[in-house]
Amino acid sequence: MAMAIIFKAVNYMYQPNTPFEQQALENISVEIPTGSYTALIGHTGSGKSTFLQHLNGLLRPTSGVIQVGKQAITPETKNKQLGELRKHVGIVFQFPEAQLFEETVIKDIAFAPKNFGKSEEEAETIARRMAQQVGLDDELLSKSPFELSGGQMRRVAIAGILAMEPEILVLDEPTAGLDPQGRLEMMEMFKRLKEEQNLTVVLVTHQMDDVAKYADNVIVLEKGKLIASGTPSEIFAQPNWLVEHHLALPKAGEFALEFEKKTGYKFSTLPLTEVSLAQQIASLLHGGGVHHG
Amino acid sequence: MGKVLLGRYVPGDSIVHRMDPRAKLILSFFFIVIIFLANNWQSYALLFALTIGSILAAKVNFAFFIKGVRPLIWLILFTVLLQIFFSSGGTVFWRWGPFNLSYYGLINGAYVFCRFVLIIFMSTLLTLTTAPLEIADALEKLMMPLKKIKVPVYEISLMLSIALRFVPTLMDETAKIMNAQRSRGVNFGEGSIMQQIKAVVPLLVPLFVSSFNRAEDLATAMEARGYRGGEGRTKYRVHYWQTGDTVGCAVFVAVLIILLFLRHW
Repeated sequence: MAMAIIFKAVNYMYQPNTPFEQQALENISVEIPTGSYTALIGHTGSGKSTFLQHLNGLLRPTSGVIQVGKQAITPETKNKQLGELRKHVGIVFQFPEAQLFEETVIKDIAFAPKNFGKSEEEAETIARRMAQQVGLDDELLSKSPFELSGGQMRRVAIAGILAMEPEILVLDEPTAGLDPQGRLEMMEMFKRLKEEQNLTVVLVTHQMDDVAKYADNVIVLEKGKLIASGTPSEIFAQPNWLVEHHLALPKAGEFALEFEKKTGYKFSTLPLTEVSLAQQIASLLHGGGVHHG
Repeated sequence: MGKVLLGRYVPGDSIVHRMDPRAKLILSFFFIVIIFLANNWQSYALLFALTIGSILAAKVNFAFFIKGVRPLIWLILFTVLLQIFFSSGGTVFWRWGPFNLSYYGLINGAYVFCRFVLIIFMSTLLTLTTAPLEIADALEKLMMPLKKIKVPVYEISLMLSIALRFVPTLMDETAKIMNAQRSRGVNFGEGSIMQQIKAVVPLLVPLFVSSFNRAEDLATAMEARGYRGGEGRTKYRVHYWQTGDTVGCAVFVAVLIILLFLRHW
């Protein structure tokens, strides 16, 4: 079963009716389709984190409705009703290794499923499976999570969220602080998990390359407002608009623009990933030279 | 988090804001001591006048002070009721077992109430008009004589500054970890007492771990920049004792003298 997420006219205000009140989300209406890989982009302070916290009811909107599957979150929704929702929406926060606390890795991974009503054995079985999914060796499972390396701790934390067996997986800059190899492995792992488990993925990121490579749907926030949503090729189609909003093109797109400028050749569609860039240039070379003019 | 008034500094540019933090610290302690000399309504009226005068001079919204009293209201009421029902003397209006409601009890209750309110107002005034780090600086300066009897003054004040500096950081960290654990199905503030105690473990362990890591990083960063203890260090913020501070002290001493007279009316 998969679930769509629909925001309807959602406003969120921090500390309303005080001198410190601050509008963090302003009249947001957007849909995250079932089974999509949605990238959420925007600058620091654009409201991304606030948006994320609405997805599993950590925050309730000041006004408006968020529909997650069958469950609606309104300003009046009670905490009790949100427990059920949190089971379906797994959020991997930024630097998730900060949430580890148990004596052993396996116990930490099994923590969430136990909270959501699985028995000790069931939870442990799931935990073992998820540890394997994220590439943790069996011998690590009985160690303390604090003995592991940073990258391994990150994997444990992610396995801890996957163990909830969520239908919606939310990732808040999951590769921050990892080396390039670790980044690539992690992103490929999410791609694989999404396909195998038929997840809906929401990814917050500053890496436009990742947006182009993995996402099929993009939401752009600026100062709490939704300023664009669509497929990556739609979003990256207007370089001028991107510059206006201080957003970057993926590296391949930048290269392609530079290539057009230097050679005068026009790509029919701007390539956004290395693969499509390479293909277009290859066919250009085989197809007989650069057209001038 | 907005409820924590202790150390909530409201920037401003009044006479009180500009006073030397040492003067403000001394006068706040001085005030708390002389409150106990007050024993009749005239003396309380005088102290109220002094407090209100100081608040007006600081040009801080009075609502902040009422908010400062609110979290302590139960403690105050409890103490006041204890005074009212358990002190005897004067006309007795009502009696039941160990409880009695007497003329002196009522008066004492009122005085205790005034004392609490005055102390809270004055200490709130100190924290509202003085940045936490200035208070730490002032404490360091004032404790300097204790150096002679081998009290580690620099270390104490460094600890104090670091503690104050990291209060907001720790609060942020707490909020983040709470969010992460709530997402993993922990319900804070719900269920039986045992469940609530258990719910704190996933919050406290990560907080301890990150605090220790942070302390280590901080120590490394300080050593990398050549910190070798406080001896002989110059200060970024230098305080000068000014006329305003002397005037402030003079006013408080005058109040003390009048209080002593009022006491033996």
